[in-house]
Amino acid sequence: MLTDILSLARAAWEDLQERLFFLPPFPDEVDSLALFSMLLVVGLLVGEWLRARLGWPKVVGYVLAGALFGPSVLGWISIEALAQTRPVADAALGLLMLEIGRRLDLRWLGHHRGLLWAAIAEITLSFTAIFLFAWGVVGLIPAWAAAAAAVTMASAPAVVLLIVEESRAQGQVTERMIMHTALSAAASFVVFAVVVGVVHAEYSDDWLNAVVHPLWVVVGALVVAWLMALLALLVASRLPKRSLAQVFILVATALLAVGTARMLAVPVFLTLFLMGAILSFGDHERTLSYTDLPEGHWLLAIILFVVVGASLPWQDFTWLIGLQAVGLLLVRAVAKVAALAWAGDGLNAVRRRVLVGIGIQPLSATAVFMAYEIAGLYPEIGRSSLSLPLFAAAIMELTGPVLCRFALVRAGETAPTDHSREGVA
Amino acid sequence: MSQPIAEFKQSQPLTLGVELELQLLSVRDFDLTRGATDLLGSMDYDGRFGEIKLEITESMIEVSTLPRTLVDGIAADLVGLRQALVNQCARNHIAVCGGGTHPFHRWSERRICPGDRFDEIYHRYGYLAKQFTVFGQHIHVGCSSGDDAIWLTQALGAYVPVFIALSASSPFVDGEDTLFQSARLNAVSAFPLSGQCPALRDWAEFIEHFSLLQACGIARSIKDLYWDIRPKPEFGTVEIRICDTPLTVERAAALAALAQSLVRRLLRTRPVLNTQRQLHVARYNKFQACRYGFDAQISDPIGLRQVPLRQIARELLAALAEDARELGCCAWLELLDASLASEISDARWLRRRQAIHGNLNDVVREAAMRFGKNGGMNFAEETR
Repeated sequence: MLTDILSLARAAWEDLQERLFFLPPFPDEVDSLALFSMLLVVGLLVGEWLRARLGWPKVVGYVLAGALFGPSVLGWISIEALAQTRPVADAALGLLMLEIGRRLDLRWLGHHRGLLWAAIAEITLSFTAIFLFAWGVVGLIPAWAAAAAAVTMASAPAVVLLIVEESRAQGQVTERMIMHTALSAAASFVVFAVVVGVVHAEYSDDWLNAVVHPLWVVVGALVVAWLMALLALLVASRLPKRSLAQVFILVATALLAVGTARMLAVPVFLTLFLMGAILSFGDHERTLSYTDLPEGHWLLAIILFVVVGASLPWQDFTWLIGLQAVGLLLVRAVAKVAALAWAGDGLNAVRRRVLVGIGIQPLSATAVFMAYEIAGLYPEIGRSSLSLPLFAAAIMELTGPVLCRFALVRAGETAPTDHSREGVA
Repeated sequence: MSQPIAEFKQSQPLTLGVELELQLLSVRDFDLTRGATDLLGSMDYDGRFGEIKLEITESMIEVSTLPRTLVDGIAADLVGLRQALVNQCARNHIAVCGGGTHPFHRWSERRICPGDRFDEIYHRYGYLAKQFTVFGQHIHVGCSSGDDAIWLTQALGAYVPVFIALSASSPFVDGEDTLFQSARLNAVSAFPLSGQCPALRDWAEFIEHFSLLQACGIARSIKDLYWDIRPKPEFGTVEIRICDTPLTVERAAALAALAQSLVRRLLRTRPVLNTQRQLHVARYNKFQACRYGFDAQISDPIGLRQVPLRQIARELLAALAEDARELGCCAWLELLDASLASEISDARWLRRRQAIHGNLNDVVREAAMRFGKNGGMNFAEETR
């Protein structure tokens, strides 16, 4: 139907062109800005509608909008259009990863060893359980089982941060959710780098790539992150703390890091996470500690989740892979909740530890981007081998934010609903 | 439901107890954060130095010492309570600090603590309850009878400005310099039963007055009286409630020493009180002390003149030397004397840090660091 309408419009336009010579050729592709704006409006409307009607987190609405209008269902967002929006999605993910890196306060682990043990338990158990499931139950070869575990072992920093901000949650469950999310993300990035080498070793005789590529990923990201953090601190130290100028510097250096990472083919999420962590740990004068990202990053986050929703391979869905993905998520959930309930973490009540475990269930943009990074190494086999974690991410795109919000609400850490504050943020 | 006033529990005269309301901060930006119930819920503390309990909002925590006869005992309790709190806060990724107001928090973001009493206060006072996220020091001094407690409530009234000036630590509100030394009391004064105790002669008159308030539906329990100084029959004390929480527990102990020495002197000399006249100038004098601190001009309703607060405070500290010696708290009063002589107050320290840093986040961060470490007994040293 859309094609019919377009054909009619094209014919009419070309008729007009014969008489109005200033008219440009019929626009076959939507302009980037127009596309950006449409994604924003559609995502926003669906997110707000679901929030208002069903009380669901807005992120779910953004993902649903992407899935519905993306190539898999209605096809209004084409694959080409998705590629066009990738820089914006990278920028959005980058800013959120920068923020989660900035929240990674290693000094807390120094004061609270129990938290460190809980994090180690959660990371180890999650990776092991998912790897064994993917290898032993689903039957993936060890390299792809490790890749699936690397991609899905961590929580979703972007989702957790957005839900915490949306609910204005504060408290010990919230703090621990953010900390465990940041630590498990860090661990998954390390495993991811190793897996890159393992996949090379599995499919290529070229040992140089198997060794150098993981190093390129890690060292490249580290160098870019370090340089950009240094630049940010250097310039910001000459400006008043918390000033608007400092906000601009923080955003500008983050975007510079995103662009540089893209140019050097090192993962954006890893680079920006490291940049945030370096800013958190190395900012001794607290030059940028009090400078928040502008509210505008919410707009970018909407685009990010619409793009993620549209990127997921919904058309490849089969009941078998759906069941396998559900199995992976169950194993993962049990591993996370059991590790935190057992390890204690300084929270006396088991109920609150379980809530932390539930709150870190989301699996989202970082996992999807990581999966595509690994799959991109050997596209002919990678895509099908990683459909399991991609489907797990697809399911969690919709249930993860709800679980995260549920945990915060049950912990009593969300702010009372104030409808006057409803809106984009 | 109205509660009858408890019998005045006789206590050993001049015993002391101190309560401090403290701020719970996010270590990320040093804004107030929600943390009180979590903190207490996971705390392993045996109560050896006194109590740690909830206050009206989740960003506040209250510590109270055990009853002690010596100021040194109060100081030891406060140091013990501080250490227990600082350790527990570090495990919870939050910080704790003193000060009468948080310099830049937004009151609308505060959350009321769970509990029927807090819920009832919130429903009765509305937003005032959230704005009541201010932090004070209360000093209890033991009295042998209800009559003494009422007499002291009146007699101590004239010294309220001195306590305010010496404890002032709330110059910033909503991120702005208020030009006050103690802006905290402006939040308290919004409550209908705040201010001064009326001119009552003895315990019987107090009971009569309170019964009237109850009959008119104005007050239900003695906790509804937010007077600057009030009797506390359950403890057998008179309670001085006008001090800001200082930035250090050492200054809090020094203020307790001032209260103890002053009460001893008043009970020993039993001066004639001019309560009615004092009530005419009480609010003005309180404003002067809050606004100008040591530079306040205090109205004397008997001599019909104005006297610099600095002069009143110096003369008072000199006059209390003998009582302080008897009570073994001279060193603590000397701290206050030195503070007065060198014009060093917590409010001034906060302003100086603000001038250095140019932002209030760093000011609160340094205030938290200052609260957490052993300040010793030298305020002047601390301010450098």
